[in-house]
Amino acid sequence: MDISVITDTFDEWTDVILSWISDNGEGLFDFIRAVLEGTYDGILWLLQLAPFYVIAILAAALGSRLVNIWFGALAGLALILCAFMGLWAETMSTLALVMTATVLALFIGIPIGVVAGFSKALDRVLEPVLDLIQTLPPYIYLLPAIALLGYGPATALIATVIVAMPPAIRLTSLGIRMTPREFIELGQATGLTPWQMFAKIRLPFAIPSIMAGINQSLMMAFGMVVIAGIVGSGGLGETIYGSIRTLDIATSINAAIAIVILTMVLDRLTQSAVDRAKETDR
Amino acid sequence: MNTMNTINNANEVLVECQSVWKIFGARSSAAAKAVSERGLSKSQVLNEFNCVVGVSGASLQVRRGEIFCIMGLSGSGKSTLIRLLNRLVEPSFGKITVKGKDIASLNAGELRDMRARNIGMVFQSVALLPHRTVLENAAFGLEVRGIAKDKRNEIARAALEKVGLGDWTTRYPDELSGGMQQRVGLARALAADPEIILMDEPFSALDPLIRRQLQDEFRQLTKSLGKSAVFITHDLEEAIRIGDRIAIMKDGMIVQVGTAEQIVTKPADGYVADFVAGISKIHLVRAHSVMQPVDEYKRLHPGANLGVLLHASPEADIAELIDLTMQSDRDAVAVVENGAIIGVVTTRCLLRGVAGTSTAAVDVG
Ligand SMILES: Nc1ncnc2c1ncn2[C@@H]1O[C@H](COP(=O)(O)OP(=O)(O)O)[C@@H](O)[C@H]1O
Ligand SMILES: [Mg+2]
Repeated sequence: MDISVITDTFDEWTDVILSWISDNGEGLFDFIRAVLEGTYDGILWLLQLAPFYVIAILAAALGSRLVNIWFGALAGLALILCAFMGLWAETMSTLALVMTATVLALFIGIPIGVVAGFSKALDRVLEPVLDLIQTLPPYIYLLPAIALLGYGPATALIATVIVAMPPAIRLTSLGIRMTPREFIELGQATGLTPWQMFAKIRLPFAIPSIMAGINQSLMMAFGMVVIAGIVGSGGLGETIYGSIRTLDIATSINAAIAIVILTMVLDRLTQSAVDRAKETDR
Repeated sequence: MNTMNTINNANEVLVECQSVWKIFGARSSAAAKAVSERGLSKSQVLNEFNCVVGVSGASLQVRRGEIFCIMGLSGSGKSTLIRLLNRLVEPSFGKITVKGKDIASLNAGELRDMRARNIGMVFQSVALLPHRTVLENAAFGLEVRGIAKDKRNEIARAALEKVGLGDWTTRYPDELSGGMQQRVGLARALAADPEIILMDEPFSALDPLIRRQLQDEFRQLTKSLGKSAVFITHDLEEAIRIGDRIAIMKDGMIVQVGTAEQIVTKPADGYVADFVAGISKIHLVRAHSVMQPVDEYKRLHPGANLGVLLHASPEADIAELIDLTMQSDRDAVAVVENGAIIGVVTTRCLLRGVAGTSTAAVDVG
């Protein structure tokens, strides 16, 4: 038998299944696209309200408050460089994509993590799923997304949300489960209700771990958002793909520099927020 | 004992355990069944069922106003026993009553209520919430009961003042020394105004000087507030300093319950005797337990004149009796109760008392 017959049949089936899903789930996918793009547009709109130097000054102020004055100054200058390279709009699009995806990933991931922190059963089910998500090459998530949501930011966002969610789930669940035994006992001996036990004992102890999860989710989102340039996400990722295709090496390198700047600024800022959470948890 | 509460309900039993067992392990219910049917020992249960017996057949009564100490080596089941009293640990069998109520019958809400209002607990690890100030920690129990902020802060501040930490309310736990942290733990328990306070080795991690200070403060405070306490320690001297009565535990069993004097002078078995061997008796043994009956004294010392002896009360301890003996030129002190001489303490009696081997009965001169 000719193997290409099997191959063709397989392709046909995949097509059939995908179009069945997109036909029958049309309302659902429209809704998902609306939520994703709505959030993205909103955040982007906010970021574009201010001119580039205002954002740069804000980043500098935040940086010197959270890290130190040198980092603050450097962060401000680096962002101004992005504007001078003519990539300000793209940089803000990327930032908006990352923020949208991270917010959604946390919005879904933290509650799941809390439940998994309480339920050993759920944790056991989630563990291999999260492992799988983190093992597969992130490109994979773009494919079903593009089939169902089409070319554009929605596809980039959903794939990014999937990639960014695992650390938030894992570290939230870990934080909830790691409450020191003596404090659980304190809660019981004090007569706490289950809700009070969560809000007054488990959650405060979990905050540093949850913050670490937020930082990691953000970094995962960054990596994915750049890759997602290939499906028309907009922003720096798409700039890189576009300029590589036209062999415009200078622009692609500039875009890469802008990505590095944005990543480092956000990483340091959230990392120091994590350290602060750990510190106040004396 | 406590004068305040002896006036009314002196012997009211607040907490009672009747033959309580706790068996840990995967097959604990099978093991419990075997224990009740075949009376297995701790090591048999371990061999046969791979279950650990935490507490075995413990019975005790804690009376109102009393400080009840539980003493035993590490692993003897003290923590398990004290946690049975507020149902942090569920008994395998046996009955535990608090204020006359079988705590096994409480539903979740009633149990929370009992823990919030009637039984406070202080831990060896202190367990102060690190992200809260001293005041917020002390007010924790009141906060979860939904008491308004002003009110609970006022009560918590008063409790902190009682333990001498009135000036530390805005600090965080890690700014305090170990002894101070343990005081906050005590203030947190006191702020909720429970009738019974459970203390699981609260002072074991502190250095000796601070420890002694806290022991005295704790006893004083508990007595002046009219609280009852169950106090766990692995240190017999601490039990003697603090406790009105002491229970000695070994391998999950209570081997003896009694006052410090009873335990030191009449140890129930060799195990307890080994424990008390190193304990100084001079503040524990009292005149009534070392004195000779008057007749016997007269028989052994014909012609002695009882009238010239200095007088001591039956409750006088050996230290006081030694002082009195040194003050007179006689070798004996008369023990007087209600104006009548009820016995005589000779130097021989004193030496036996200090050595810890004697009771009046075996002193044949
Ligand atoms: N949760 C538990 N599971 C299994 N065994 C336990 C548990 N808690 C205590 N034990 C065992 O019960 C015995 C008594 O422990 P514990 O009450 O902590 O003693 P203590 O407080 O006197 O040191 C020990 O042998 C201990 O290993
Ligand atoms: Mg213990």
